[in-house]
Amino acid sequence: MEDTPVKIVVYHCRNLRLFKDGEQKIFCRQWPGLTMVSIPCSGKIEAHHLLKTMAGGAQGVLVLACSEKACQYLEGSSRSRKRVDYARLWLEKVGISAERLDFVRIPPMDRVALENLLREFLSKIQSLEALPAIAKA
Amino acid sequence: MIVATLKEIDEIRKMIDRYDSVLVVGCDSCVAECAAGGARETMLLASALKLSYLKDHMNPTITEAVIDRQCVDDFIDQIADQVPEHDAILSLGCGAGVQALARVYSDKAIIPALNTLFIGETQSRGVWQENCLGCGSCKLGYFGAVCPVARCSKKLMNGPCGGSKGGRCEVNPEIPCGWDLIIRRLNALGELDRLTEYVPPVDWSTSHSGGPRKVVREDQQP
Repeated sequence: MEDTPVKIVVYHCRNLRLFKDGEQKIFCRQWPGLTMVSIPCSGKIEAHHLLKTMAGGAQGVLVLACSEKACQYLEGSSRSRKRVDYARLWLEKVGISAERLDFVRIPPMDRVALENLLREFLSKIQSLEALPAIAKA
Repeated sequence: MIVATLKEIDEIRKMIDRYDSVLVVGCDSCVAECAAGGARETMLLASALKLSYLKDHMNPTITEAVIDRQCVDDFIDQIADQVPEHDAILSLGCGAGVQALARVYSDKAIIPALNTLFIGETQSRGVWQENCLGCGSCKLGYFGAVCPVARCSKKLMNGPCGGSKGGRCEVNPEIPCGWDLIIRRLNALGELDRLTEYVPPVDWSTSHSGGPRKVVREDQQP
């Protein structure tokens, strides 16, 4: 029987310009279990989005942001950092490893950095005990 | 507005572990403003509970709902369809909201998810300050709209105690001296003369000391 791919969700700031039109879908096909969600600014992400994503079955969630100085909305990148930290606190409160949730600032258009990051994150998540699956909504 | 904070998840779990299905109900008014019980926090808490139960290999049904005000029947009625499907309601409303839900849904267990703290204002982003005790006898007009009952640690009505240093309270230096604020504000308004008037001690019979208070307005009733 084939192993179920580890479900990872990546929220990435659109201003990182990681993908051109249609490329994101093609990229995700190379990474079974990966869902990439483009957002207008990493600052749009809040703790409840991240916890809901995890409660929805994701084994790990990554937030990719621009560097603080490059943020087009000035405070978005620094805000999202705080929000991810807050969500990590909640994970710890419920007894789930905060390592399942990460925030990383990467250079714009750097697909190599993205792939390296995904490999690293995936291997970290695989080293953790899998979260039980949800039986009821 | 009413300011509250979320209870620790362990305390909430202790209260709801006995139920198979819980309706988590947020209140999108005061407690949303203080980031304790609005739509965002409802989603956060419901998700955290699901994760917490998942980790313990338990799987109760946890559903989310948010109403505009948990203290008004017209809004409370909006969850009437969802309530019968659940064993209990976990309320992210203030104490008044929790009790209003209990009155309307008298056959359901209603569990509070918040600790209700005080009447306050949003002083800056992420900072909420208590500035009204609801004493029932407002005298802000005498004090340049700074309340000595709520802002002075000693609740002095006729001038400062003399113990403050550099505008900070001697009871807790982190608190600005209420009387320093009053005098500075009246001075800026050119109304320091207001302080020459004697203000009698607070009549606490209009506050909590008189038991639960009620306002009845016949003109507002059906």
